[in-house]
Amino acid sequence: MSLIGALNVGKSALATHQAAIQVTSNNVANAGNPDYTRQVARVVPKRDYQLRPGMLIGSGVNLESIERQIDAALEDRIRGSISDSEMASSRQLWLGRVESIFHEMGDDDLSSQMNAFFGAWSDLAGKPQDMGLRQIVITRGEALAGTMRDLRAGLDSLQGDVARRMEALVRDANGLARQVADLNRQIVTAEGGAQGLANGLRDQRDAVLKRLSELMDVKVVETSEGVVNVLAGSEPIVLGDTNRGLAFGQETVNGQLVPRVLIASDQAGIQVSSGQIGALFSLRQEIGGTLGQLDDLAGGLIFELNKLHAQGQGLEGLTDITGGIVVDDPAAALNSTAAGLEFAPVNGSFVVHLKQKVTGLTSSTLIQVDLDGLNGDDTTLNALAAALDGIDGLSATVTGGQLRITTDGAGGEFSFSQDSSGVLAALGINVFFTGTGAQDIGVNAAVKARPGLLAAAGNGQVGDNATARTIADLASRPLASLEGISLEEAYERMINQTAVSASGARTSATAAASVRETLLSQREALSGVSLDEEAINLIREQRAFQAAARLIAAVDEMMRTLISLV
Amino acid sequence: MAVLPLQLARVSNALRMNLAQRTITRTQQSLTEVQNELATGKRITVPSDHPADAALAMQLRKTLDQRQAYASAINYGSMHLGAVDSALGDLIDLVRQAQTIASANVGSDVTAEARKAAAAVVESLYSQAINLGNRRFQGTYLFAGDKGAEPPFRPELGGVRFVGSDRTLENRFDESTVLSFMVDANQVFGAMSTRVRGSADLAPGITASTRLADLGGAGGKGVRPGTIQLSNGVTTVAVDLSGADTIGDVIDAINAAGVGSITARVSDDLMGLTLESGAAEDIRVSDIGGGTTAADLGIRMPGGTGAGVDLVGENVHARLTFLTALSSLRGGLDIDRSGLVITNGPQSQAIDFASAVTVEDLLNRINGSGMGVLARINSAGTGIDIINSVQGIAMRIAENGGSTAAQLGVRSFGPQTPLGELNGGAGVRTVSGDDIRITRRDGTSFTVDLTGLATVQDVIDAINAADAGGGVTASFSATDNGIVLTDSTGGAGALGVAAVNFSPAAADLGLDVVASGATLQGRDVNAVEANGLLAHLSKLRDALLTSDQRRITTASEGLESDLSRLTQVRGQVGARIQDMESRLNRLQEQDLATRTLLSSLEDTDYADAITRFQTLQTALQANLQTTGRLLNLSLLDFLG
Repeated sequence: MSLIGALNVGKSALATHQAAIQVTSNNVANAGNPDYTRQVARVVPKRDYQLRPGMLIGSGVNLESIERQIDAALEDRIRGSISDSEMASSRQLWLGRVESIFHEMGDDDLSSQMNAFFGAWSDLAGKPQDMGLRQIVITRGEALAGTMRDLRAGLDSLQGDVARRMEALVRDANGLARQVADLNRQIVTAEGGAQGLANGLRDQRDAVLKRLSELMDVKVVETSEGVVNVLAGSEPIVLGDTNRGLAFGQETVNGQLVPRVLIASDQAGIQVSSGQIGALFSLRQEIGGTLGQLDDLAGGLIFELNKLHAQGQGLEGLTDITGGIVVDDPAAALNSTAAGLEFAPVNGSFVVHLKQKVTGLTSSTLIQVDLDGLNGDDTTLNALAAALDGIDGLSATVTGGQLRITTDGAGGEFSFSQDSSGVLAALGINVFFTGTGAQDIGVNAAVKARPGLLAAAGNGQVGDNATARTIADLASRPLASLEGISLEEAYERMINQTAVSASGARTSATAAASVRETLLSQREALSGVSLDEEAINLIREQRAFQAAARLIAAVDEMMRTLISLV
Repeated sequence: MAVLPLQLARVSNALRMNLAQRTITRTQQSLTEVQNELATGKRITVPSDHPADAALAMQLRKTLDQRQAYASAINYGSMHLGAVDSALGDLIDLVRQAQTIASANVGSDVTAEARKAAAAVVESLYSQAINLGNRRFQGTYLFAGDKGAEPPFRPELGGVRFVGSDRTLENRFDESTVLSFMVDANQVFGAMSTRVRGSADLAPGITASTRLADLGGAGGKGVRPGTIQLSNGVTTVAVDLSGADTIGDVIDAINAAGVGSITARVSDDLMGLTLESGAAEDIRVSDIGGGTTAADLGIRMPGGTGAGVDLVGENVHARLTFLTALSSLRGGLDIDRSGLVITNGPQSQAIDFASAVTVEDLLNRINGSGMGVLARINSAGTGIDIINSVQGIAMRIAENGGSTAAQLGVRSFGPQTPLGELNGGAGVRTVSGDDIRITRRDGTSFTVDLTGLATVQDVIDAINAADAGGGVTASFSATDNGIVLTDSTGGAGALGVAAVNFSPAAADLGLDVVASGATLQGRDVNAVEANGLLAHLSKLRDALLTSDQRRITTASEGLESDLSRLTQVRGQVGARIQDMESRLNRLQEQDLATRTLLSSLEDTDYADAITRFQTLQTALQANLQTTGRLLNLSLLDFLG
């Protein structure tokens, strides 16, 4: 219609293209920002209006919206893949640490030491009286015990590290959740009432959510107000602008400290199954399982070897011995929980031999250990001591839950044989190994001090080797304490399990990383800034702006011409 | 190297950079791994590199370590046997020397002085033989068996006593092979008496504290633990006896099973178990699931006993152990505690068992008597043996006024002794027709034909029958071992026994002695001797000293049998040494095969690794070059 109209069209063009250039420049400025979502200026023509009846004319251009190029479903999948990939690579890292603690495939690993230990017993079987060979058995036993203790300590300390790391990560997650809540508030404020999206703030929020996904698996739900609620499982962590808080707690289950992630406001537990924190939960269980296997292995070795050793005889007999294990209640049956023995004896009997050194003659007594649960006469520690005390030439007492057996007067020495009950090993009498598990396995100090007490014989003759031979065969025999598998097998299973886990973790990590990178690439393809694209956009907007400015100049000239007519 | 799927509609700058960065990082990671492989030469550094191969490698390493232990045991055993072989060689030379001396000194042209000089040489051979017997190898006595801490041969009681053991040590040479690496001194030296005593089955009874492990079992296969099924016709219960250790545990378990009123106890004859029940109950006992416990305990009766009938179990064949109470021997009858008179060489000792409680006490009394005898439970676990462990002297075991020796079956010369065993197995020689003439004190006499008799009691009976009430009574001594003739005729002459028809029977029966008054005490012609190498040498020496040609020849014959035995043993030892050497060789070959396999699992395949390294290196180079070229290109460079 009029020149004013054309001027208005020009004005709208100038403004629109100026804004478009700003969008482009914003994109260019953030080109290197991985969290940035590319924005596209949506430019639409203004409404037509009627010039004269039968004729509509356009009224210019308008910037309708500035759109974030983002795929919400893809973002969801990305967060999931980030959790999975972080979980897998965490597991790979920590399981690698477990493997390096075991240091298998080296020359001084646990399996080599076990083989060397049992090999020493085999050598001793060739010459049972040789003091040098006895010393070797003791030294190798100490080395084996020391290695087991070190492994145990290493795994324990690793468990501690896991718990500490978990605590630190939960703290970080809490911080990130707080940031999400803050950003929620800011976004609502920024977008409140206005038609449009606070793109920058949303980008920031997405970035924080990705970092949170690294730590734990979360579900993100966007509401109509532009707020996101963050849930772990079905438990909300962030509701609108409120952070319910994440806290780290530990509770005692079956005597063990179990870590938990809790909602700070009501101490409700939440389930974390992915991300670095999820990895630490599963690792905790796995390392705990390995610890249990190591303890079982050590316990099996201690008890089974002690059972053989206790009923063997050394180069010299015993004159004064105290059982290393404390019985909680000396008046309770030896296999009851009240007695509190880690390794329980069973119904059986053993023989005590008392030898007079001057004559070389031995008198033997059968001591029964009645633990059949019938007739209410099961043997207690006190009853056992009384039975031993009743032997001519021996005295037995119970002090502080420990059994002590001594000879009456000089000239006598005693030994044991044929123990079908395992009670001697259970009470720590005439044993080789002390301790109950990998944390405290050691060699009996009495045997260390006097290698002549090492029991190689089985029939009372000083030069016999039956006990040494049976012990030498121990590593490959199936054992009841290990549920029917041998020490060697138990060890191999433990190492294998960790190896397979670690190898699996490595494969999972590679696979999960692939998935994560593919999804991120897809995101980049959609939301990333291409400088070449933006350069072209810039030229286009620039030319459009130039043209609009030229148009305005032309209209201005025409208007001046009109005005000069007046 | 993982491959990144690229199906992209649009490529942003950041995408290009990230892709380039990730592929470079990945390739460098793989390169580092290969580099590590090449540098260490190991394909597997932690088990998770290749878990299945690592597991196999672990087992192979374990096998190698085990084989090392076996090789060490074989080595030591082979050296020990080598020392034995050398000692045997020396012994053989020594025995040959003695034989030469013996044959040189038989004949009427040799003087007594020459024989005395030869005796001195034999004496030195005798000492050398004892030293050889006490030879050590790396601190262990070669011939002491499992008593390797003290010298096995000790001069005692005028002879040489063997205080070693006839049990030799064994060791494991293989997963499935346990062999002895020592020799038994008895085989070499004939160290202990070869005729062992102990003819009686002492039939130990069972008590509540008898251990199941000490039972032979009704079927002779021991008592195998398991569960039995007990029924009284109405109620059936499975009784778990797998944890039972003693007879008492079995009785308690059956009594606590609550099957009607069935109870168990030790049988009256102490040989097994008896199950009793109420009037209408039919006791049925059977084994479950292929077990044998009920059968082993002698109480298996699946068909039932019949209503109200007790189940008297079979004999469970309790073995004699040192813990067995003397009161349970002979089915609970105990043994006569009067004891024994043990004579060995010049010394004699009477021991009684009045205060002995267990078999161990009894054995201790005998072993502690200082008589150089060894008493032990026989290998079948049915009785005891008393062995003369001193070479060169004779052992005699007689009653101490009771019947202990007979009950234990250890009397060396008694009425039941077969005539064929007398005189060291030479027996009693008879002639056809009468053999002996017995002259009574009143001057009358009678003859006895001893042909075809079996035992000493038969001889006594024959004498008494031939006397036919003439006043001479033959019997066997209650204390000393010998036939006793008592003359009740009361004459002034002498009671005597003489040979008839040149029969040696009187001397062989020990009756060629002078009577003392009305009693003629015969000699003990059945002393137990340990006739080994050392005994023969000392007999040769004594025979040379007394210039007794017959005894020189006897001793030489003994040395001949020793020599053949030594040669045989030496051959066996040689074979065992060779066997050990071939085992060692086999182990070494197996080792080689195992190490090869281990290497193929653990060690780097250099050709493969280097190829991979080069491929990765090329890929990295290409990646870096293309990245360098492309990342720099931008439209902005070309816009004016």
